[in-house]
Amino acid sequence: MSIRLKLLLLGLATLVLPWAGCRYAREMETALREGEQSSLQSVAQSIAASLQGRTDLLYRHPLPTPSTDESPTNEGVSPKTEDKPSPYDVRPALLSSQPFLDGYVEEWPQNKVAWHYYTHGQHRFGLISGVFERMLYVMLDVQDEHLVYDTPGASALDPSTFGDRIWIGFDGPDGRQHQVFIAATGPGTVTARRIESGEYGQLTAVTETRIVGALQPTSQGYRLEMRIPLSMLSEHFGVLIDDRNQRGADPVSYGTLRSDDLHTVGRLIVASPELPLYLKQFSQSGVRIAVSAPEGRLLAQTDALAVPSALAPERGILTQFYRRFVDRPGARRIIDSKADIYDREHQQVIGSLQVSQTEDRWLVLRDRALTHMLNLTLGISSVAVIATFIFAASLAVRLSRLRTASESALTRDGVVTTTFPETAASDELGDVARGFSTLLHRLNEYTGYLRTLAGKLAHEIRTPLTIVRSSLENLESEGVSSSARVYLDRARQGSERLNGILVAMGAATRVEEAISNADRVRFDLVPVVKAAADSYRIAFPQRTFATDTPDAPIVIDGAPDLIVQMLDKLVDNAVDFSPTGAQIVLRARLELEAAVVEVDNPGPPLDPSIRDRLFESLWQSRSGDSDDSRPHFGLGLYIVRLIAEFHNGKAEANSLPGDTGARFTVHLAR
Amino acid sequence: MAMKRTVAIVEDEPAIRDNYAAAFTREGYVVRTYPNRSQAMTAFASRLPDLAVIDISLEDEPEGGFELCRQLRSLSAELPIIFLTARDSELDAVSGLRLGADDFLTKDLSLAHLIARVNALFRRVEALRRPTEATQIIRRGSLTLDSEKMQVEWNGQVVLLSLTEFWIVYALARHPGHVKNRQQLMDAANVVLDDNTITSHVKRIRRKFQTIDEKFDGVQTVYGMGYRWVD
Repeated sequence: MSIRLKLLLLGLATLVLPWAGCRYAREMETALREGEQSSLQSVAQSIAASLQGRTDLLYRHPLPTPSTDESPTNEGVSPKTEDKPSPYDVRPALLSSQPFLDGYVEEWPQNKVAWHYYTHGQHRFGLISGVFERMLYVMLDVQDEHLVYDTPGASALDPSTFGDRIWIGFDGPDGRQHQVFIAATGPGTVTARRIESGEYGQLTAVTETRIVGALQPTSQGYRLEMRIPLSMLSEHFGVLIDDRNQRGADPVSYGTLRSDDLHTVGRLIVASPELPLYLKQFSQSGVRIAVSAPEGRLLAQTDALAVPSALAPERGILTQFYRRFVDRPGARRIIDSKADIYDREHQQVIGSLQVSQTEDRWLVLRDRALTHMLNLTLGISSVAVIATFIFAASLAVRLSRLRTASESALTRDGVVTTTFPETAASDELGDVARGFSTLLHRLNEYTGYLRTLAGKLAHEIRTPLTIVRSSLENLESEGVSSSARVYLDRARQGSERLNGILVAMGAATRVEEAISNADRVRFDLVPVVKAAADSYRIAFPQRTFATDTPDAPIVIDGAPDLIVQMLDKLVDNAVDFSPTGAQIVLRARLELEAAVVEVDNPGPPLDPSIRDRLFESLWQSRSGDSDDSRPHFGLGLYIVRLIAEFHNGKAEANSLPGDTGARFTVHLAR
Repeated sequence: MAMKRTVAIVEDEPAIRDNYAAAFTREGYVVRTYPNRSQAMTAFASRLPDLAVIDISLEDEPEGGFELCRQLRSLSAELPIIFLTARDSELDAVSGLRLGADDFLTKDLSLAHLIARVNALFRRVEALRRPTEATQIIRRGSLTLDSEKMQVEWNGQVVLLSLTEFWIVYALARHPGHVKNRQQLMDAANVVLDDNTITSHVKRIRRKFQTIDEKFDGVQTVYGMGYRWVD
């Protein structure tokens, strides 16, 4: 893994910051929610405590003592005491919206439990009731196979015209029992009428305009929806259904009124009108306070759950994005708290209080903090990541520069580059670079020492050698016996060989100096190559020489002497490695940027592994079969390279196509 | 027999000095040896030798021979001076110094060769004193070459060549148009030198002629073979 990648990962590790931030925000939210919950609980309990025993505040009329419900039957008629709860009681819930009086149930709470059913033999009807703005709404769902309407236009008092009829009985604020009936002549709006006895005992049916309703037939019977102002009603309320199978027939009567005198049996248990006003004083924005009856029916509430709109614009895209990470899925957006309301003796639950609060109120505050924190940490993270990456990249660049420099510092010829990058840097890389630089300088001194060692050694040995040689010459002149002369000759031969070694040892230095001191002229390469070939024909009669040169001149800047010297070395080499009678080709040609000189010889192909080292100083692998007694230091091809470099060119060696020999190519800059 | 000639050898290595002295003495020369510059100059101030062989490096003076040569030349313009160097590579540098020396030789030259040179220089000194004999003169166009005095003139002006250079020019000019290879030139000059040294000798010869005549082109290179003289 590259340093760049490692540091990038390290930079990415700073992403733990926003993650931790989210965790913190979540925990904060939990703590906040718990705190809010408990404060809500204490609010609920204190309101509930203030309502303790205040039955008068909860209900319009004193509550009956709860007892086990009996299944309501028409026969089971009257309860013994008025204070006992009765199945005939009507307990309207608080409606959240005003039902439209049309005989349809759509606007009513779609809650099966809210319906109360009354059965009489095969007859059955359901009742649901509600309160909305001081009005009692009642919906009756009557099962009736034969819906019989009154004869339209007939007298309401003529029994022969009677169809199905619904009686409503209640006691009014004056304490008297009142009965009204609803008789429909068709679907739609119905009116309630009451029967009044006139001054002379005559009966009249008077329309009760305060009670309005609507009737709709259903597949199993019909529904009646009606509205009665609470101001007309007192403690008791009931309905009775006169079911006739045909007009004028004797009805089957059943319901929550006594069928004989139509007096009420059940009570109307509704919330006190004071209750909403009382609750209102505890009301605050974002909080809903609701009071329910023990059986769960809503009595009153103050509702201020709406989201404070002033804070809404804060919820930007970023916030919503962050929310996705913080919010637990399915988390409730509303917290609520319940407290029971007891009677004065704290024995009996008379209602329950529920305080609800939307989270939004403080969620907005949390979001604001969360957004700020996440923006900050994400910003820090990205800055850290980018900075780390840039740092890593620059580090990698510097390292690769160092690597490149270290790879190329020491060439194959032992030439040491002492200039090293990054040495000016003050950090650890600079230390490494300086270390390298120091190493290279020392290496350079050492190679310099090695390079000059041969020359120095030769020089130092030359003086004693001169002593030996001059002594030998003097000795010879002194005249020695023939037996001693043998040894004298051997000593002289030895010293000559020693001298040869010394000459060879200093040769590289001498050649380098001579080449670097050469003069440059502009000259044509072609005649030089041709003249050289002519001389090789004389020098090496055992080989044939061919030239391959263009007709046009190849003019270059350089030293013709050196070119000839270079050809000498190449031809020496070619002669060494070619069989007797072989043809050696000398070629000169022009390329775009360079003049090219090539010498081809048949013979063994070139080992590719030594190709690059052939031109090195003192490299000696292709030892030919020459029986030259002179020490051979492989300078020939090194000289070729030096001369090529003097001409800003390069020398290379390849095998001939088909491995039939070797080709040495020298490029000379024009 | 004329008075014995005196050869001064200034060489800091005693063994070499004594070996040279022995060889010269055997040849009939009177030899005086000096290990360093101060001793040599003291002696030269009172009496000049007939010829001086001077090592370049003298004891603690790496180039003390040059200074000695300069001082000696100020005492005598004609005195033949031969420089000995330990290294071939120094030849170019030394001969470029225009010290007025008559020859520059490396120490690996054999004693016989050295003595031959000394003899030749003495011959030249003598020849310069005598009137010129016509038989010794070779004329090639602008070139006048006196093999006895070992002296070369171009357009009537003396070209100051060292002994080695003279012999190279002599070998070339004797047979104009003939190519002499490096080995032949070495043999002619009685020296053992490597190819590059011959090349630089030729280069220097051309330069010396060109100081007199910018258009001089008498020594031509025959690539791959050697050099030839053209008129």
